[in-house]
Amino acid sequence: MSYLSISNVTKQFGDTVVVDNFNLEIGKGEFVSFLGPSGCGKTTTLRMVAGFENPTSGKILLDGADITDKAPNQRNVGMIFQSYALFPNMTVAQNIGFGLKVRKEADAVVKQRVSEMISLINLEAHANKYPYQLSGGQQQRVSLARALAIRPQVLLLDEPLSALDAKIRVSLRSEIRSIQKSLGITAIFVTHDQEEALSISDRIVVMNAGEMEQVGTPFEIYNFPKTRFVANFVGSLNTADAEVVDTAKGLVSVDGVQFTSAEGTKGRNKGDKVKVAIRPERFSFATQQHKDNVVDAIIENITFLGSVVRIQIKIGNTSFNMDTFNNPFLELPKIGSKQQVTCSKEAVLVLDE
Amino acid sequence: MKFLNRLRKFPFLAWLWFLLGALYFVLPLLATFEFSLSWDPAVPFKAYQRAFEDVRFWRSFIASNVFAVITIIACIILVVPTAYWIRLRLPQARRIVEFITLMPFVVPAIILVFGLIRVYSTPFTIPFTNIVFMQALTQFKAGTNILIVAGYMVLAMPYMYRSVDTGMRTVDILTLTEAAQSLGASWFVIITRVILPNIRSALLSGALLTFAIVVGEVILASFLGVNAFGPYLFLLGQHRAYEPAALSFVSFLLTWIAMGMIQLVTGGQNQTAGGH
Ligand SMILES: Nc1ncnc2c1ncn2[C@@H]1O[C@H](COP(=O)(O)OP(=O)(O)OP(=O)(O)O)[C@@H](O)[C@H]1O
Ligand SMILES: [Mg+2]
Repeated sequence: MSYLSISNVTKQFGDTVVVDNFNLEIGKGEFVSFLGPSGCGKTTTLRMVAGFENPTSGKILLDGADITDKAPNQRNVGMIFQSYALFPNMTVAQNIGFGLKVRKEADAVVKQRVSEMISLINLEAHANKYPYQLSGGQQQRVSLARALAIRPQVLLLDEPLSALDAKIRVSLRSEIRSIQKSLGITAIFVTHDQEEALSISDRIVVMNAGEMEQVGTPFEIYNFPKTRFVANFVGSLNTADAEVVDTAKGLVSVDGVQFTSAEGTKGRNKGDKVKVAIRPERFSFATQQHKDNVVDAIIENITFLGSVVRIQIKIGNTSFNMDTFNNPFLELPKIGSKQQVTCSKEAVLVLDE
Repeated sequence: MKFLNRLRKFPFLAWLWFLLGALYFVLPLLATFEFSLSWDPAVPFKAYQRAFEDVRFWRSFIASNVFAVITIIACIILVVPTAYWIRLRLPQARRIVEFITLMPFVVPAIILVFGLIRVYSTPFTIPFTNIVFMQALTQFKAGTNILIVAGYMVLAMPYMYRSVDTGMRTVDILTLTEAAQSLGASWFVIITRVILPNIRSALLSGALLTFAIVVGEVILASFLGVNAFGPYLFLLGQHRAYEPAALSFVSFLLTWIAMGMIQLVTGGQNQTAGGH
């Protein structure tokens, strides 16, 4: 049983199709992220759920009721904006109580709920401050409390962390996730930051140019990208031109160097031009135990990225990145030296060109 | 050494310009004040006494104040929703409306008042019949008052529109509206509880400008035959010497007090407008 159902939703502005035939079923209490590059239609889709845009065609159902044409203030949907959008003329407590006051809740109820919310976001000391007296992270927490105070059926978050600095971004996203889990609230989270999406979502919708590329758990999206776009957009990825060598064994060749792919080359013919994709962290230096995909490589360059060391290697005539974890005892090869590297059969993805 | 350093940092040029500007405004005012005191050296405030004794002064001054308040209220009711709607839904209409708000600068008040008189000095009939459903507005006092307030609204609109529009730009009106909507607020609640409080300082400055225009206005009032403060001061200036100077000085003071009050009221507001 899905709780929020977006079916066949299309949105056009004039002649440009911004969201194309969007279909998604979201379960109650689920945390779904929309992930995609700038301009791919994430915000527009979210705004259609909120009621700020009307779909050109298609339907949106919430808990069985058709809300496609309902006004935003009739929907019981909470919205969090990138710019916080707190009312500058109201204190923290007044901001949080606004939605309840509008609903004409009794004063005692408002007071009770506001203080609950304030302790939920740990801002007890700031209840009577104005938004301009708070930091960005605090403001966004107030905005979260304000949206949750009305007990919305769905919580919509449009890049809520983009305006914050890196440390706060990470701590606030886990705070959002834990609050969402403890309240069991259904949430849609828009982001163009793949790490953010991977770390907090139950499911991710990867979008590209108005279309859904893939829907799946973070694990599926990262490890089994269905399209080249997803593979490229989520995580970093080496791609190289290749040719199918043997369809039965799943053999492909990159500049004459052969790789075996576990998923095989079904539906393709010998000699077809394809792309192989291998994530940098799937490469490692080969030892005696390794049997599959052991190939020769020249070390071209080495870069420290903090916890990870990125080694640029050349296989055939193609450059690949290889990531290994950093540690003080790591013995790195010399630049220019020849090494044997390897990756598992499962790590080799064969994609259409 | 220290003194020299400080001297070097002191922005001489900026202060020079400021002083020149201040002199430009203050000197005429001082001269007026000085002149208003010079009627009778024995009774320094004689001009003020005389001016305030005159019943016609009070009548016209109060009438102008009432007109100003009505104009301000009507203008706010007209301009705030208009500016709001244009920012929200019709950004492409911005240019047209800005052009319209420039019209009162281009069309002189004298043309405006003759236009008003021409159109509203004949009775209104129901189209295609001779049945009169309203007298000509210029024929009765309430009608003239309506006309003059309408005229004042035209004159004040550019100032009101521009300050309201600027006020709406400093707070992100679009996102605040959407936030309020998603919390369940109706249009009325959004305008009265979210928009108006956040453009308070803009409204106040628009209102002050409107006030200044209406209270000092001469042309509309004299041609429509309304006993307003402007024509009174004008007439007085033709027959008397000292009282007009006294009254001018008083109206200057009033304006300055109003401006000071706006600074006081909006001082805390400016910080909230920024957001961060
Ligand atoms: N009101 C509008 N009128 C016309 N075009 C619009 C309108 N709103 C959005 N668009 C267009 O729709 C496309 C998708 O916009 P949208 O805001 O949904 O992208 P997004 O995925 O949220 O991007 P970002 O990550 O930059 O926020 C963009 O090309 C944008 O120019
Ligand atoms: Mg967006």
